[in-house]
Amino acid sequence: MSGYSLGIKEIDDHIGRIRGGSNIMMIGPPMSCKDDIINIIIYNGVKDNDAAIVVSTREPGERVFNWFKENKLDISNANIGIVDCVTKTLGMGAADTENIKRASSPVDLTGIGVKISQFFEQFLMKKNIANTRLCINSLSTILMYSNIQTVFRFLHVFTGRVKAANALGIYVVEDEMHDPQTIATLKQLFDGMIEIKASGDGYAMRVVGFTPKPTPWFNYEMDGMNLIMQESV
Amino acid sequence: MIETGIIKLDDYLMGGIPNGKSLIYYTHPGVEGNVFGMQTLYHNLAAGMKCVFVASSSDPSMIIDTFNEFGWNLEAYRENLIIVDAYSGLIGATSNEKYIVGDPENIDSLNETIEKVIEELDDKSVIMFESLSTIMDLCGEQKTLDAIKNWNTYGMLYEHVLIYNFTAWPYEPETLEHMKHNLFDAVITVGGIAERVIFGQYFGVLKAEWSDVELKSMLFRVLRPGGIRIYIPKIVVTGPFDAGKSTFVHALSTRAVSVDRIGTTVALDHGHVDYKGFSADIFGTPGQERFDPIIKMLSGEAMGIFLVVDSTNTKDFVRAKQMLEITKAYGLPLVIIANKQDKSDALKPEEIRKHFNIPDSVKILPAIADKGVGVFEAFESLVNKITEVA
Ligand SMILES: Nc1nc2c(ncn2[C@@H]2O[C@H](COP(=O)(O)OP(=O)(O)OP(=O)(O)O)[C@@H](O)[C@H]2O)c(=O)[nH]1
Ligand SMILES: [Mg+2]
Repeated sequence: MSGYSLGIKEIDDHIGRIRGGSNIMMIGPPMSCKDDIINIIIYNGVKDNDAAIVVSTREPGERVFNWFKENKLDISNANIGIVDCVTKTLGMGAADTENIKRASSPVDLTGIGVKISQFFEQFLMKKNIANTRLCINSLSTILMYSNIQTVFRFLHVFTGRVKAANALGIYVVEDEMHDPQTIATLKQLFDGMIEIKASGDGYAMRVVGFTPKPTPWFNYEMDGMNLIMQESV
Repeated sequence: MIETGIIKLDDYLMGGIPNGKSLIYYTHPGVEGNVFGMQTLYHNLAAGMKCVFVASSSDPSMIIDTFNEFGWNLEAYRENLIIVDAYSGLIGATSNEKYIVGDPENIDSLNETIEKVIEELDDKSVIMFESLSTIMDLCGEQKTLDAIKNWNTYGMLYEHVLIYNFTAWPYEPETLEHMKHNLFDAVITVGGIAERVIFGQYFGVLKAEWSDVELKSMLFRVLRPGGIRIYIPKIVVTGPFDAGKSTFVHALSTRAVSVDRIGTTVALDHGHVDYKGFSADIFGTPGQERFDPIIKMLSGEAMGIFLVVDSTNTKDFVRAKQMLEITKAYGLPLVIIANKQDKSDALKPEEIRKHFNIPDSVKILPAIADKGVGVFEAFESLVNKITEVA
């Protein structure tokens, strides 16, 4: 099947499959379980033999894999490549593994770019996998060390590569951390958004840009690795 | 003059980089251009030079680790290596280095430190900037362009060599034009062959003020450990039945497989060679006439050909010549292997030449493939021909 589904049923039912080459910004407040949602989207791909590339700026590569283990999801045969921007910043020497390549730091956009490209080559050319999901989690960390022009140039290149590779790009942004001008600048690069906001005691999400009107807001909560959704009224 | 330590590049540069000159590795995003500067730095450290590494995007304590991935042990030369820490200030970390840039986002702060280092160096040295693009990102394009002019002038005055790693993000077009044409004495472009993804990497000399060697692109790959290797995706080994082609492929290769049936090749041999800075994939063809369609197919897109002959078997030389036609070898770099030289009735290369109508520039080299004799000499000869610098 062509295109990508997120693996979040209520949303998928509204927007259908997202066409290959799309770039999406996921924006929401801290503590709104964005990491879990990203992992659900990744898992939904790799369980159907899609590949995934995760640029991790907040936790070491090993920790990213742990989430799947803790939730008893088998990813032993999954094609997941992690660009770990954390381990070397902590002053820890750890060698690259088949699935984890380590960049020098979140400032090292050159290195991050090389490693993303290598995983793309490995998955598309060597393993002949048609669909790859690229997740950058998060742009906000990268924006702590580099200014918006720098990040814009970087994304300009890599949203283009996502398009060329017919992949799906998802870029996480922490709401409230950036001024509106920064967000507006970034938005130009994306085809759509997964928006998350506080709602009552919890959070709600909707998707903008893939249907003529935004999807409704869905209140959600995490139950283990299950996302329980309810259309808000 | 210092060497870059990158095979073939030093040939293009007519030996290397003269003192007082600057060179930039101008890299397209996503391509492993950063290894070029590292390899040049390490090569010169190992040659006993004093070197300066300007760290802009790595924690200095991690640099040794990063070089180690390539098998380059900086610790052995630590007393000759000065690290300028233009990173710690950015993330608010403390630094143990002697030269620290207080505010990496301020070009004056960087300038001050670089000038100080240059003045305090007592020998002609190599100064390598880990990431000029990071500096540009932090300090702004125009300010960085001005600073580069200043550093290069300092380098010239004190006869240091300045090496820059640079990733060509989509900066202002004028900025990139300056980088490519005006600011440096030599510009090495490092690019990627992209289809849907980048699947091949090359470098070429865009400019080298002191060299009149013609520009040509070389494919490369990066080995860990090992560093930069010139990559030759396809060398074909052909020749008559039983000449020793499969034996030759296996003798050269670090790993190889053959598709044989009762001792004769029915499909192909494939091997991978890593030797003296070259990395090549080699393909052996069958020899028997009934496999001619396979031989033809296998030799498509070859970058060079080995023709293996059994030096005792003159009656097969006609077949050998025919195979040069099937593989379209006449237009390609070609080396003829006079194999089985251990046999008493083996003809010498000069005698074999009389049977072939080939120009003198085509070498005929003696070999005993099953003893591994002569095979690497032949490999070197062919890859040098393939990558010949005009
Ligand atoms: N004496 C001697 N024998 C050799 C030498 N090189 C290869 N042989 C022998 O020659 C025979 C043929 O070698 P192969 O490498 O299979 O020859 P080939 O050209 O691949 O043969 P086909 O694939 O059948 O066309 C084997 O018995 C080898 O051991 C050599 O230098 N000297
Ligand atoms: Mg054979």
